[in-house]
Amino acid sequence: MTDKSGAELWKEHQSAFDRVRAVAVTVSEPKPADWIAEQAHVAGNTARDHLRRLVEMNVLRTTTGGTATRYEPDPLYTRMQALRDLLDNRTRDDLLELRGNLQEQVEEWQTEYDADSPSELRERAAHADTAEATREMRRTANDWDIIAYRLQLVEDAIEHYSDYAGSTPAPA
Amino acid sequence: MFAFDGGYDPGQASHTVLLELRRTIERHPAVQHASGEPPGQFIRVVATLDPVILGSEADEGTLTLRWYAGETADADPEFAFHYNESSDFDCGWHHDPNPHVDGWTHYQERLSADDDYEYETVSFDTLQPVPLLWGILDRLETRLTEH
Repeated sequence: MTDKSGAELWKEHQSAFDRVRAVAVTVSEPKPADWIAEQAHVAGNTARDHLRRLVEMNVLRTTTGGTATRYEPDPLYTRMQALRDLLDNRTRDDLLELRGNLQEQVEEWQTEYDADSPSELRERAAHADTAEATREMRRTANDWDIIAYRLQLVEDAIEHYSDYAGSTPAPA
Repeated sequence: MFAFDGGYDPGQASHTVLLELRRTIERHPAVQHASGEPPGQFIRVVATLDPVILGSEADEGTLTLRWYAGETADADPEFAFHYNESSDFDCGWHHDPNPHVDGWTHYQERLSADDDYEYETVSFDTLQPVPLLWGILDRLETRLTEH
């Protein structure tokens, strides 16, 4: 089965610029323009134009070395997008509550699996009694990695709340 | 995806993909709303759909998206795009270690929660999250129309 009609569906609902952006901001490793063009279903020159604009907008940055220019998300942009999502409709008190909730979740896993970190849980998963238990522990380790990152973001948002929200926090 | 210190952070890489999937899925005409769940934790995206637009007769449907970018930057992602509807039928495209098929990639479906899943091996043209999502939305419409 090919995904040719999936590509048509995507092209119908997102512009070439949006497709290039969506592919380029989600790569795990820097990629050249031709690779991004293929994934985003746009012509090479179109991708290069859009990538150049995205670099100017500080959404992407280029890496040096090798023959072709490679693109990766600008870490500051990635961080800003995640903080923006977190701060939308949340007061500083909401963030404090969320921090408590995330910490509680981590502590629950630490106790349940007697593991201090997601990588320690993965090690334990490899030696679990059943294959099903292994899979469940690996899934939890994956969630834990995401929760750990969220916790880091929430702490950043709390610490810099007035700067990020552009307002003075209400007195405690 | 790179953390501030230049190292790879699987939590950051996965979360960045989930944010982008939430953004892009809302462009699909069947999607009424998409949010990060559980609220505040954001370990998956849940999209509320109008099943009729996808060829089903059910009143309500959801598509749940999970994404884990992999322990290292060059590792394959683990993901699941799973559809549930009010008729009780559910199905999904998964890419993770499993005992049901050779390899990671498979499709599974069952008529109701009381039935066992039927599994089949499938393949994808890409493992890039956003093009993959649109490919799966297209396959979902095909499955629901045939179902």
